[in-house]
Amino acid sequence: MKLKLIAFNLLRFVTVLVLVTFGITLLVRLLPGDPVGTLMPFATEADRAKLSAELGLDMNVVEYYFRWLGDFIRGDFGTYYASTGDGGGAKVSEMLAVALPRSLLLMLYVIIFSLLVSVPLGLLMAYRAQTRVDNVASNILFALYSIPNFALGLGLAYVVGVKLDWLPVIGYVPINEGFGEHLKSMILPTISLSIGIIALFSRLLRSDIISTLREDFVTMAASKGLSNSWILWRHVFRPSCSTLFTAAALQMGGLIGGSVIIETVFALNGVGMLLTASIATRQYLAIQSLVALTAVAYLVFNLIVDLFYSVVDPRVASHRAS
Amino acid sequence: MHRNSRPKIGLILSLSWFSVCIFCAIFGDFLPLPKWDDYDYDNSAARMFSKGHILGTDYDGSDILSGLIHGSRTSLGISILSVGAALIVGSFLGILAAYRRGFIDSILSMFFNVFLSVPTIVLTLVLVAIFSSPSLDGSSTELPRELVLIISLTIVFIPIIGRLARGTALSWTGREFVLVAESIGMRRREVLIRHIVPNVMPALISLFVLGIGFVIIAEGGFAIIGVGTQPGASWGSMLAKNRGELTLAPHTALIPATVIALTVASLNYYGEYLRSRIDDRESRI
Repeated sequence: MKLKLIAFNLLRFVTVLVLVTFGITLLVRLLPGDPVGTLMPFATEADRAKLSAELGLDMNVVEYYFRWLGDFIRGDFGTYYASTGDGGGAKVSEMLAVALPRSLLLMLYVIIFSLLVSVPLGLLMAYRAQTRVDNVASNILFALYSIPNFALGLGLAYVVGVKLDWLPVIGYVPINEGFGEHLKSMILPTISLSIGIIALFSRLLRSDIISTLREDFVTMAASKGLSNSWILWRHVFRPSCSTLFTAAALQMGGLIGGSVIIETVFALNGVGMLLTASIATRQYLAIQSLVALTAVAYLVFNLIVDLFYSVVDPRVASHRAS
Repeated sequence: MHRNSRPKIGLILSLSWFSVCIFCAIFGDFLPLPKWDDYDYDNSAARMFSKGHILGTDYDGSDILSGLIHGSRTSLGISILSVGAALIVGSFLGILAAYRRGFIDSILSMFFNVFLSVPTIVLTLVLVAIFSSPSLDGSSTELPRELVLIISLTIVFIPIIGRLARGTALSWTGREFVLVAESIGMRRREVLIRHIVPNVMPALISLFVLGIGFVIIAEGGFAIIGVGTQPGASWGSMLAKNRGELTLAPHTALIPATVIALTVASLNYYGEYLRSRIDDRESRI
């Protein structure tokens, strides 16, 4: 049963992966304009033919897709053609080696910060459900949830960066140039992205905990005389965090590439900005590989969630499948 | 129950704010204000409450209040049209999938899942790139930026709404009254129209309201990464145009940001209110 479920999940993962990447190939093929003329305006005939072959313009879509897929799996993401128009340029994978850690770190900080805030907050709100604490917190979270992250980012940049001059407003500092400075450069983007996620997480956790608190085993634990905080952390929290776990994993998947706006506001030069730049300059191979990468990231985190459920908690798994 | 105990003042505030926005979007051109694209260069980057410009001007000398009023038409227009179009197509596909099940359902669900596995922003970016570039022969048949955004966002929203409509419709197809209707010999199509669609509608309406807010945010985001409307023509592009001025004229960027936040907040509030009403209704059925 378990194996069957795992196999089913894997099969679905692979199917969607193939369909998504093929769909992206079709989309990139649909990009209007003459790719060779755009990337190499002053090229000789020989250069044009070479580039045309590199972009797979002489193949049909299916052939091209499989060639691209082979390259992609091997980690060759294509060339990012230079604006000099001579067909030269950097490897996308090398540019990604710079951009990806930035996006991954941002994602990691956002998830860690969001969980650190929303877990205690969700517990507190559920424990004090329907009281003033809960109402005030719910309303504040609701208001914060409605603020677009770029508006929040601008506001924070203005107050903390310009007025108080505590933190840098733009730019990214790599870890090897000092961890403190690195953290400083990431604080504002992290908070801007986290606020909405914190609101989401604490609301999810709150409602799950409230329903767990109604279970018999909680009454049992309370009647044995265990302390409230012990019950909350040891008995209630663990069975209540599956929705939170799912949401966190999906957010992690979506944040690679999905954080493009905040990356732009704070000039972090992550994956999202690399993708925007590729689209602006019509880097056909780069666009295809980067979009595929964001989709793969999302699907992998989805798969992790599904596998986690099918392995760890058969009760939830069958519940979710129904 | 808990939601209903919230003071109604929030509802009044959010609906009034949204009415003001709608009013501006429709009648904004008739208000006695300077044109948003009249550049008053003598008064560039004027502070708030300066003479002739209540909310000041940006570095081009364009009046911020008129910009906001003009922008309400662009921002709301894009949102309402794209979410509305996606709602019609998406809910049709979703309900169809839920009711026919079998092959059609598998195909449509797969299609929804494939679309949903690319982050919304990334997918829209690619679609905008496809629709916004000039045609092959170089003739200037470029679509207006607004239309490009509407088409792209519609495509992105169809699977989101479709999946939700499918889920909601599915939860109704197993209900007793549907079984009863089927067992007394009602035709499937009639069951669908009489019993399923009316019950799915409320959820879709609340999704519509929440979706408008989402698109207003998305439009702002696209303006920031440089694929939005003409600079200054919508709330998002006003913010994007002026976001470099935080040090010298912060109000030029922060005012549009606040307007976007207020509008989205009131839409979310109203959407949530509708949703809690629906939950109450469904718990009674």
